[in-house]
Amino acid sequence: MPVRLIRVDALILDNQDHYYLDRNDQCYFIGEYTARRGYKFSETNQLIFNLKKSPQLRGTNQWYWKEQAIAQAGRLLRTVLTVGLNQDVLRQTVFVPVPPSKARGDPLYDDRMLRVLDELSRGLDLDVRELVLQRQSTSAAHERDDRPTPEELAANYYINDECREPVPTNVIICDDLLTSGSHFKAMQSILGDAFPNVPIAGVFIARRVPQTDDPADTNAVI
Amino acid sequence: MAAVAQVLSTNSVSPLREMGAYEALWAKTSATFKRLADRFRLHPEAVPSDFVDPAVADKFALQAIEILKRARVTRFGVLVHGTGEYPERLREAAHPVELLYYQGWLDLAESQCVAVVGTRAPSSDAAKRTRSLVRRLVADKFTVVSGLARGIDTIAHETAIAEGGLTIAVIGTALSRAYPAENRALQRRVAHEYLLISQVPIIRFTHQGPKQNRIFFPERNVTMSALTQATIIVEAGETSGTLVQANAALKQGRKLFILDSCFRNPGLTWPARLEKQGAIRVKEYDEIARHLAS
Repeated sequence: MPVRLIRVDALILDNQDHYYLDRNDQCYFIGEYTARRGYKFSETNQLIFNLKKSPQLRGTNQWYWKEQAIAQAGRLLRTVLTVGLNQDVLRQTVFVPVPPSKARGDPLYDDRMLRVLDELSRGLDLDVRELVLQRQSTSAAHERDDRPTPEELAANYYINDECREPVPTNVIICDDLLTSGSHFKAMQSILGDAFPNVPIAGVFIARRVPQTDDPADTNAVI
Repeated sequence: MAAVAQVLSTNSVSPLREMGAYEALWAKTSATFKRLADRFRLHPEAVPSDFVDPAVADKFALQAIEILKRARVTRFGVLVHGTGEYPERLREAAHPVELLYYQGWLDLAESQCVAVVGTRAPSSDAAKRTRSLVRRLVADKFTVVSGLARGIDTIAHETAIAEGGLTIAVIGTALSRAYPAENRALQRRVAHEYLLISQVPIIRFTHQGPKQNRIFFPERNVTMSALTQATIIVEAGETSGTLVQANAALKQGRKLFILDSCFRNPGLTWPARLEKQGAIRVKEYDEIARHLAS
């Protein structure tokens, strides 16, 4: 059982896997998602795969695995965030899920991250808020070739006025998978505008290690 | 400090900082895997950076990265004990390592892994046996783990790849070095398409001579055994390093298979000795498969 988060530090940023992030961003993750080759041996790969199961599978026996994954992800977050820590510190933090690609009301709307955070909060009474909502549904990032930039994503985001108060003093943006970092940057920008000078960090269940298909990569001279 | 920063900095590690701290701990001439493991046993929650000044750790990290860059290793990661992908099985080694370097696809470490090891100078019979054994392991979806040494190790990796299987190399050099040099291309291929693991501190390895670096080879055999569910010895001499892995496997409660041909060599005493200690003498792969399934 992991007990510590891993910081996306200079060593990881050097690989250019999360090219929208820079050294000032405070982003952390638990595991590495490496399933692009179809291997699903690792617990992390299996967890992310199950978390991302489409809402179309609701009512099928596949759904059981999604529910399990949501509970497991919540427990994992709870472990890494609470070990050895004063829970009062956690209660001063607002946990904000990255909105899913489909907006509320869309039949494919998937509130998995909100539910993961509810699971994290269970018994701890943390401040979980859907502070950022999305105007229109988009294709899930992994379904499209032209991945949206942080600016494009931010243009589709708005602050949910219903839960603006009390004004947060600390924000942790939460998502299941860190890919290019575009969603984090979009969230950071819109939350930064709404709540200037509030420290914002990102916590992810896993970071994605992209497959580089060019064998020359390992021989590349820098 | 802002609460958010406090929450996260208390509960996180920076791979770069841990790598530097590990390198710094190893820079002391008295450092051994045993001494480091003893130190961490007293502080089970600790990570390398708990024992090293941050500025010193960062200096060592940059130095190690420089060495790797010169060796054209541009993409690698570190596994730190206590974080997500560190294989818990490694804690069953006599002196568990706190940090490992790796290149490639980490999820292979969680697949069904079997080590195939043996002499650096195999007989033609042993080479043939290795190939047929690995073919069967691949067909049964086992990941074939070995140490990228000359001889049996090389045949094991190459056959696994040729058969479309999966392989992991646990090497006894730093990531910056291939040994033997003729395996450089194979090492790169494993690093890129499969999984390459090394526990060897980069700066220490680079700065000391080959004679001192010999200590790292048997240590990686202990780690290889801990990583896998079983070790198969195809052929090994009376003083072979392979026997380090055999002893480690028995100590760690892993299955140890010794091919029957080793027992039939009158010059060898180790097969009978290890059998008495719990090793399994096998004539054919089907016996191995049965034991692995039980």
